[in-house]
Parts: sequence; C-alpha cells; structure tokens
Amino acid sequence: MSARGAASRRPHWLLALPAILTIAALIVVPYVNIVVMSFRIPSTSKPYLPGFTLGNYAKALTDPDYFYFELLSDTLRLALTITILCLVIAYPVAFHLARTPSRWRGVLYALVLSPLLVGVVIRSFGWIILLANNGLINQTLKSWGMPALALMYNEFGVVLALVHVFLPFMILPLMGAIQGIDPRLEEAARSLGASRGKVFWRVLFPLSMPGVQSGCILVFILSCGAYVTPALLGAGRVHTMTTEVITLLDQFLWPFGAALALILSIVGLIVVAVYARLSGRIMRGLA
Amino acid sequence: MKGGRFLLGAAVASVYVFLMLPIAIVVIASFNSGKYLKFPPDGFSLRWYANFFGSQPFMDAMQLSLVLAAVSAAAATLIGTPAAIYYVRHAKRWREVFRMVTLAPLLLPEILTAIALLFFYYQIGIGTRSSVGLYLGHIVICVPFVFLQVSSALYNLSPSLEEAARSLGASPLISFRRVTLPLIKPGVINGALFAFIISFDNVSISLLLKGIGTTTLPMQVFDYLRWDFDPTTAAASTVSIVMTLGAVLLVDRFVGLRAMRY
Repeated sequence: MSARGAASRRPHWLLALPAILTIAALIVVPYVNIVVMSFRIPSTSKPYLPGFTLGNYAKALTDPDYFYFELLSDTLRLALTITILCLVIAYPVAFHLARTPSRWRGVLYALVLSPLLVGVVIRSFGWIILLANNGLINQTLKSWGMPALALMYNEFGVVLALVHVFLPFMILPLMGAIQGIDPRLEEAARSLGASRGKVFWRVLFPLSMPGVQSGCILVFILSCGAYVTPALLGAGRVHTMTTEVITLLDQFLWPFGAALALILSIVGLIVVAVYARLSGRIMRGLA
Repeated sequence: MKGGRFLLGAAVASVYVFLMLPIAIVVIASFNSGKYLKFPPDGFSLRWYANFFGSQPFMDAMQLSLVLAAVSAAAATLIGTPAAIYYVRHAKRWREVFRMVTLAPLLLPEILTAIALLFFYYQIGIGTRSSVGLYLGHIVICVPFVFLQVSSALYNLSPSLEEAARSLGASPLISFRRVTLPLIKPGVINGALFAFIISFDNVSISLLLKGIGTTTLPMQVFDYLRWDFDPTTAAASTVSIVMTLGAVLLVDRFVGLRAMRY
C-alpha cells in the first residue's frame, strides 16, 4: 500500500470542519435568527411577544412622517458621498504608488496600510481633537481673531473622518488594478496624439475599472454600516440607520431594530448590484 | 508636462499628510500639558500617562483587551489554518462556496454581525452576563484574516515539496510538520498577528457583546469620548498604537512582513 493510496482515503474535510462549525454556529444561525426576529412583535418589557407580524417592515417603510425613509436616504446619501470622495482622493495616490520607481515605495505603501492598524476609535479621536468647538483648528482661528467654525457635530465632520477611515480600502484595490495595466498602452495612446485627459478617460480609467468597482463597493458597504465615527463625530446630531438601530436596541425594541438593520442591508446590496451592472456597462462602453 | 507631474506630486503628498494627521495629533495631544491642544502647544508633560496607568478602569480594560486579543488570535489561527490548507490543497467541488463561507464574517457588516450575535445569545440563554459571547464574537471575526494570510502563503508554496517528502516515505503528519508547516510559518504568524490587531482594535462587536461591568480598551476610550474630553484617552490611544506597532515590528524582526497581504 503506497502512502499516496492512504492519503486519498484520508478524510480531508476534517480540516474544514472547525471553520464550518464556527461560521455555522456564529454567523449562519444568528443571521437566520435576526431575520426571524424582524417578524416578531415588539414589546418594551421583554425581547418580543409571541406570534409573528409584518408590522415592523410596514412601520419602517410607511410611517406618516417618513422618518425612517428619510433616515435611509440620508444614510445612502452619506455613503455615496464618502465613496465618491474616496475614489477621487485615492486615485492619484494609487496611480503614484503603482507606477513610482522610487525606492521609498515600500515606506509609502506602509503609510497607506498603517492607518488600518490603528483602531477606528483612535482615528476618530484625532479628528475630534482637530475639529471640536474648542479643538486645535478653532483654537488657532480664535487666537488669530477669526470666528470659530462648526466643523464637528454635523455631516461635514462625519464625512471627513469617514473618508479618512475608509481611504486605504479604496487605495489598495485601485493600486492593484493600475499595477496590472501595461504603461506602454498609455505611451502608445500618447504617441498617437491623444491628450493626457483623453488617455486617462479612454485608456487608464476603463482599464482600472475592476479596481474602481471593488474599491467603491467595499467603501460603500463599510460606510453604510459605520457606527463608531458617526456616533463620535456626530455626537447625537447626525443620525444614520446604524446609529438609530443601536438606539432602538438600547430601548429593547429588538424586532423593529432587526427589521431596520435588514432593510439597510438589503437596500445597500441592491445599490451595489445596480452599480456593478451599470459600471460593467460603462466599462464596455468606454473600452 | 512638468506642471502635471508637480500637481500629481503635491496631491499625493497632501493625501499622505491627511492619512497621518489625526494619528499624529493624538500622539502629540497625549504629551501636551494642557487639557486642550493648542497651537503652539502648552508644553511637554507625562501627566496623562500617569493618569492612564494609575486608573483602575483603564488598566482593567487594557488587561481584558490583551487577553481577548491573544485568545481570539490563537483560536482563529487553530480554526483558520486547517481551513486554508483544505481550501488550497484539497477542496474540489465546493471550493468557492467554502471560501465565501469562511470569509463571510469579513464580508458582512460587522455591526450587523454584532446585532445578530446579541439576539442569538439572548435566545439561547448565554446573554452577555459572562464574557463567553464576547470571546466567541471576536474569534469569528478573526478567522477570515488568518485564512487569507495562510492561503496566500500556501499558494506561493509548490505542492511538489510535500509530494517529495511523501514519496521519500514521510507520513502525511510528518510531511506536514517537517515540510509544510515550517514553510508556511510566516503566513501563520502574520495571520495570528492580524487577528490579534483586529481583535485589539475592535469596537463594533465589543460594543454590543461586552459583559455588564467589563469593557475593552477601545470601548473605554469610546465611552470617555462620548461624554467628556479627557487627554487621558490620548495617552490610552498612544499606548495602544505603540503596542500594535510593537507587535508588527516584532513579527517583522522574526519572520519578515513580505508575506503580509490584505
């Protein structure tokens, strides 16, 4: 009997078992449970009352003041703003990082990665020190005799800090995509008389589209689910679906919180799916 | 032509400044003697560090964070490493499904996972009275990071080395221990390091699953920041930045970070 023959009969799936069991018990079952929970009848005295209802979804989508509807559109608008800003800011950095012959490339790459190693709370804290009413920027403005600016406790501060938090997630996939493009393609287009702008829009950008797509999807999804930064920089004055869901959990309105969380996730996924189709079409149109 | 180059350079440089600015500001604020950071700063002081190391809540939080991160990293490594070996070397029919399943905690919004786990724990009766749920939550979100690191290490390793060992008569276990494991060790250590950092910095899971009366370091900082501005939190943040950096440098020293990939 050869060693090979024995190996093929070895139950290799045992290697996968711990991971499958972990994910099944701690992801699959709880996610099924949250879906069931969203159809439960809310109660303020216990997690839920017996029986099932569609009322949570109905309440979220049709309440008279459209409060949750507006919350959802605000959340999506914020996520979209953050995604577009990240894309615009990340592109030049990704291009530079992908193409630079500099021997500092490793250091620059580490600079892009390192914010990911510093927790979200700490990075948000840095922005608080800068943007607060008596923060560094306003103190400096005051000492120059200028009026203070409202930089925090509003959407501006939340967007700024979230762009900072998610920027590496846009730079890395973009860089990967641009690295895969042969620089001679751009040189060829230039030598055939295309302007720089034309080279960018007709050659570089369409070819980097896979990176644009994955970066945008990643940042959009992360922005929709962001909680810490809106809670700290918005300090109760900027409301998103996520901050609202956490508030509902504190009030023990679990079934309704579950419904809101699921609505946000489903709408987010629909936006991503539509975007993926559209950008695929644009990609083919440009190329 | 020249102008375009310069413009690109300036844009890129300002993005790097933007990326580093808030982190540098926290470190500077932790050494500033005044309560609010001004320009120019009030002066150098270590009093916020004295506050931090003298504060029982902060020390308890730091201890919990360190133990939690070490346990999560160890458990995630034990779960994620065999999963990566299965995926790269043995998986056939359900290969991509298995990959998506293992990466699910990374692909799903973390806060949603935290909510789902919170409800689930109450349903099955463990609740948040003990910290079992907190540990389990941290472990599950760490698994994908180990899986990614180890599978990329395995991809760079030719299976012919293991086959050679096997054809020379080594049993599967011996060939794994003497050939495969030493070669993928950097990937495994990187994975464990990533898992440690992910757990150490995590807020979303801890926010909902931390037991009553206990808290982690990032949660403690988060709670402080919500109510009052206290530079002690800047000292706490700086200490945790230094610890993360220390872990990264230590790993770099022993195994090198070349295999490190997101």
